[in-house]
Amino acid sequence: METGSAITWKYPSVILQGDNSTGEFYSVAVTRNKQIADTGTKMHHIGRNTRSRIISKGISAGQGQNSYRGLVQIGSKADDARNFTQCDSLLIGDQCGAHTFPYIESKNNTAMVEHEATTSKIGEDQIFYLNQRGIDSEKAVALIINGYAREVLNQLPMEFAVEAQKLLSITLEGSVG
Amino acid sequence: MLIIKNLHAEVEDKQILKGIDLTVRAGEVHAIMGPNGSGKSSLASVLAGRESFHVTEGEVLFHGKDLLDMDPEVRAREGLFLAFQYPIEIPGVSNVNFLKTALGEIRAYRNLPPMDAKDFLKMSREKQKLVEFDAQLVNRSLNEGFSGGEKKRNEIFQLAMLEPSLAILDETDSGLDIDALRIVAQGVNKLRSADNAFIIITHYQRLLEYIIPDFVHVLYNGRIVKSGTKELALELEEKGYDWLREESREQAATI
Repeated sequence: METGSAITWKYPSVILQGDNSTGEFYSVAVTRNKQIADTGTKMHHIGRNTRSRIISKGISAGQGQNSYRGLVQIGSKADDARNFTQCDSLLIGDQCGAHTFPYIESKNNTAMVEHEATTSKIGEDQIFYLNQRGIDSEKAVALIINGYAREVLNQLPMEFAVEAQKLLSITLEGSVG
Repeated sequence: MLIIKNLHAEVEDKQILKGIDLTVRAGEVHAIMGPNGSGKSSLASVLAGRESFHVTEGEVLFHGKDLLDMDPEVRAREGLFLAFQYPIEIPGVSNVNFLKTALGEIRAYRNLPPMDAKDFLKMSREKQKLVEFDAQLVNRSLNEGFSGGEKKRNEIFQLAMLEPSLAILDETDSGLDIDALRIVAQGVNKLRSADNAFIIITHYQRLLEYIIPDFVHVLYNGRIVKSGTKELALELEEKGYDWLREESREQAATI
């Protein structure tokens, strides 16, 4: 869960040396105002039968720029390696940006590497729908963002998840309309 | 309950409502019919408070208060509900979570204590039966992957849960097959009471066979050109809208 400094570069990574080892990376990265975040991960598959899972959710607001930079590296001896990467971007407002730089380097042809990416924005229509049900715009955005980040936040232990959710709302306060 | 006086409104610099007068009292069901482009959905949007619509003249009183001065969420909390013609999908936000939040806001506005989870679930199950809603649909993300009929039934389910005093149904019958239509209409009929009111916007007389209106108004070119009772709807079904265009042309000629 990343709420950033003015410029953030961060790539927590995993070296999958042992056979059957797994690495998982779950991230929600938020940028607003003029923050720039370039974050991601590197998964090095070295042993046999290794698995890695990358779920990256970027939220850009204001004039924030959010980049995902991920490397999935499959070594020559890494038989039957598997990776699944899902990289989603949510844009709030029309002045922010989201960028994706996936790198896949494979030296083993038994590897299975999957990459999915989506980009969406919080539509005015969605906010109006929630308004018309009595929910004000700030709460509406918070609801939508929590839904968006849920897959990642669900991985956190409950006490931390509650705080992370609060942090998310506070970070995005005032960034709508 | 609702008094609309001389309402004029425009959208994208185009005048779409040109002087609407309408009074809706508690316990009444009003149908608004009219050809495409007459301003029916625009009227719904203006009443709900959609930003892209600008009111240029006139006033609207809801429960005696100035409706046009309220933000859309305040209008909702005051008891105004719009069943959308094209309900939006919001992935990631579950139906249940969304409803609980909405109900919480409305109750807080009315100085009622928040509903506890058990009572909410009980109410939810009760209202689901009204629209023959599958419990599974309730747990999914808001309208995500719902068929057209399911989306419209979800609108009525929300109506049942939020208990508004005035509900505007914007072409709720469009895109519905016969069974879905029956379910929606029956749901609305069960919700009718002496304390609430409905404005039903529709093209076709079909829905009005199930939900029998007290008054029928025909909107043409941004104005209500004719009002009557349910027989008017049958007349329209027979004659179409051209007859009204003729009449309106004659009227304009005599002025």
